[in-house]
Amino acid sequence: MGMEGIGARVTRKEDQRFITGKGRYTDDFKVAGMNHAVFVRSPHAHAKINGIDKSEAEGMPGVEAVLDGQQLTGDGIGNLICGWMIHSKDGSPMNMGAWSALATEFVRYVGDAVAVVIAETKEQARNAAEAVSVDYDVLDSVVDPEAALGSGAPQLHPEAASNTIYDWELGDSSAVDAAIAGAAHVTSIDIRNNRLVPNPMEPRSALAQYDDAEEHFTLHTTSQNPHVARLVLSAFYQVAPEHKLRVIAPDVGGGFGSKIYIYPEEIVCLWASRKCNVPVKWTADRTEAFLVDAHGRDHVTTAQIAFDADNKITGFKVDTIANLGAYMSLFSSCVPTYLYATLLSGQYNISNIHCNVRAVYTNTAPVDAYRGAGRPEATYLVERIIEKAAHELGVSPADLRRTNFIQEFPHETPVIMAYDAGDYNATLDAALAAADYDGFAARRAESEANGKKRGIGLSCYIEACGIAPSAAVGSLGAGVGLWESAEVRVNPVGTVEVLTGSHSHGQGHETTFAQVVSERFGVPVDNVQIVHGDTDKVQFGMGTYGSRSGAVGMSAIHNALDKVEAKAKKIAAHVLEAAEGDIVIEDAVVKVAGTDKQMGWHEVCLAAYTAHNLPEGMEPGLKEGAFYDPANFTFPAGAYVCEVEIDPKTGSTE
Amino acid sequence: MADVSLTVNGKKVSRAVDDQTLLVDFLRNDLNLTGTHVGCDTSQCGACVVHVDGNAVKSCTMLAAQAAGSEVSTVEGLASGGDLHAVQAAFKEHHGLQCGFCTPGMIMAAVDMINKHGSSLDEATIRSELEGNICRCTGYHNIVKAISAAAQASA
Repeated sequence: MGMEGIGARVTRKEDQRFITGKGRYTDDFKVAGMNHAVFVRSPHAHAKINGIDKSEAEGMPGVEAVLDGQQLTGDGIGNLICGWMIHSKDGSPMNMGAWSALATEFVRYVGDAVAVVIAETKEQARNAAEAVSVDYDVLDSVVDPEAALGSGAPQLHPEAASNTIYDWELGDSSAVDAAIAGAAHVTSIDIRNNRLVPNPMEPRSALAQYDDAEEHFTLHTTSQNPHVARLVLSAFYQVAPEHKLRVIAPDVGGGFGSKIYIYPEEIVCLWASRKCNVPVKWTADRTEAFLVDAHGRDHVTTAQIAFDADNKITGFKVDTIANLGAYMSLFSSCVPTYLYATLLSGQYNISNIHCNVRAVYTNTAPVDAYRGAGRPEATYLVERIIEKAAHELGVSPADLRRTNFIQEFPHETPVIMAYDAGDYNATLDAALAAADYDGFAARRAESEANGKKRGIGLSCYIEACGIAPSAAVGSLGAGVGLWESAEVRVNPVGTVEVLTGSHSHGQGHETTFAQVVSERFGVPVDNVQIVHGDTDKVQFGMGTYGSRSGAVGMSAIHNALDKVEAKAKKIAAHVLEAAEGDIVIEDAVVKVAGTDKQMGWHEVCLAAYTAHNLPEGMEPGLKEGAFYDPANFTFPAGAYVCEVEIDPKTGSTE
Repeated sequence: MADVSLTVNGKKVSRAVDDQTLLVDFLRNDLNLTGTHVGCDTSQCGACVVHVDGNAVKSCTMLAAQAAGSEVSTVEGLASGGDLHAVQAAFKEHHGLQCGFCTPGMIMAAVDMINKHGSSLDEATIRSELEGNICRCTGYHNIVKAISAAAQASA
């Protein structure tokens, strides 16, 4: 390992600009002639739009335009899509209702965008938005996912009878039923995984510019995946052709999944920038972030787990209703299916698992992937039911887990995952030792003596990170590939630029990825520049979510570095008149092993570009790219222990 | 409109601003000091903390006109020349940030804390006084460590 290579403790390169206030987030960008967008949003959970009176707003100071859904669809802007096709167990495709970026006939949740005001200042736009009068017929609404399935429930979309988007299953139902029927013990649980709001610190923002000379668009936006945004905006929403649209996601202040998706606001800003021929900026306030950023979780689940007489799990049956909100967000369909049911084996050797998922529409904000996305929902369910079972069986929760841990790898679960490696006893042992689990009984006795309550809980989790390979996810319905790309440009002076399709919104790629380069060639991390977040610079990339940047993005860099290293060694071998296999690169020195012959790293790089003395037939330059498509997920796993003391008199916890 | 004159990061500035202009918008839009952020616009999150006459203030909840005649300092004014302020250096050393969006407000709140409590600033006080600053990435352990280290160094 070099001084700054993989695993070395270095301070973060990106911190310097953040701690001095020089980070550049989307809302920090200003351009000449910039107008501001403020959206008119539905105050109703469900209503029919009878008409929109824009006349007063249109006459207010600074107002450039007041635009509505009829104009948007009239200009051929396409409906929002869901990019992962799920088929119900009867083979039918999911029932997706139409979602226009500005509502035309109905509004289906509080916050649904109805119109947009474009004005010279944000205050003018805000004032005019308040003057837009929308005539609504308020309709009955339903927000609870179980109620949405009930007869007589308000219906959201004509495409989805009984508000049902799909009724999907995974696993062998009859085998699980047989296991439950023959079990020595069955534990049941009803569990609700509550909805939550992602709330990155930086509210979402978009700045759209249209250059009518070049017929070219530039969109600065708070995105975790600018290339995916460009693809979707061009291919599906028809706001701009892909080769005429540059998407820049500069410094982004956290995402947690909520900045994966391409929302109505970005579509409308792009469309309006051309329609009005002015740059248009929109920045959400926190209220809008709560209302319209895609929410997370919201499952209602009933489950049974079966044990034999030795407390070995013989079957696990799960029935989940997933609330996807009023519209299907970009990847909403895969979260409660392939990102959830596939992790229901947890860390345990379970031969029979069956999961049924009904996804439903309700009059609530759309729900999509949030921090872990489906996998935390699976872990929460598995660990709650295991814990409950341990109490019912009268055995230690830790021991019940150990009895059922997977011990041999690779391991195929009945829910289509192939775990490559793991040592679940090791992580549980370490967690229990760190928490002094054995000393809990004494601590609880002491708490009781002091009039307090003390409890302890365990969670042994497994994640599936770096979703892949592309062919596999494609066969399961994904509309995209889940590879990553990298390009390594070595400059003639030996400094290195890495262009990556991963996107950092807090992950620290500028440092971590630079360390990978430093490890390889011994160049200091300060001589490595990580370039990301701009579709005009990086060829293509799938972005950052689902813990994929290390496993997939960094592996693409690794593969590109292999090619750079191979070429650099060829050049050095030629110049130093040595065998290629004898060349080693250490601490930015390129050496012939076992001799004193060597060149500086920078000399090899310069040689690549002067091209005065290259091997016969070699192209000049030192720049290589790689696309990396993993063979499988990675499966990080671990154990948590949480011990809490509560004062029953005050409710205060410690 | 109001004519507002004040000192920002040691420089005298005068501007005519709308009466309704918030201090944070004045700093960001009129003076292009975009290091001060708007995270919640309701004084919950603390991303907009600046100092007004030496006190930490949430600039999203104060009118620019209210700052007339005041000395305002923002995160851009903390470092002197190429030298980071001790709190900035401590955030970097102790990995007290990830996405960086809350960081300017955290740092300005921390500087105020250390100015008021000095090296006697303890962890419980830091955690209590950070109640008005929210971070969603890092969690607070390393932020507290950074502030604590900077307080110790101020002795």
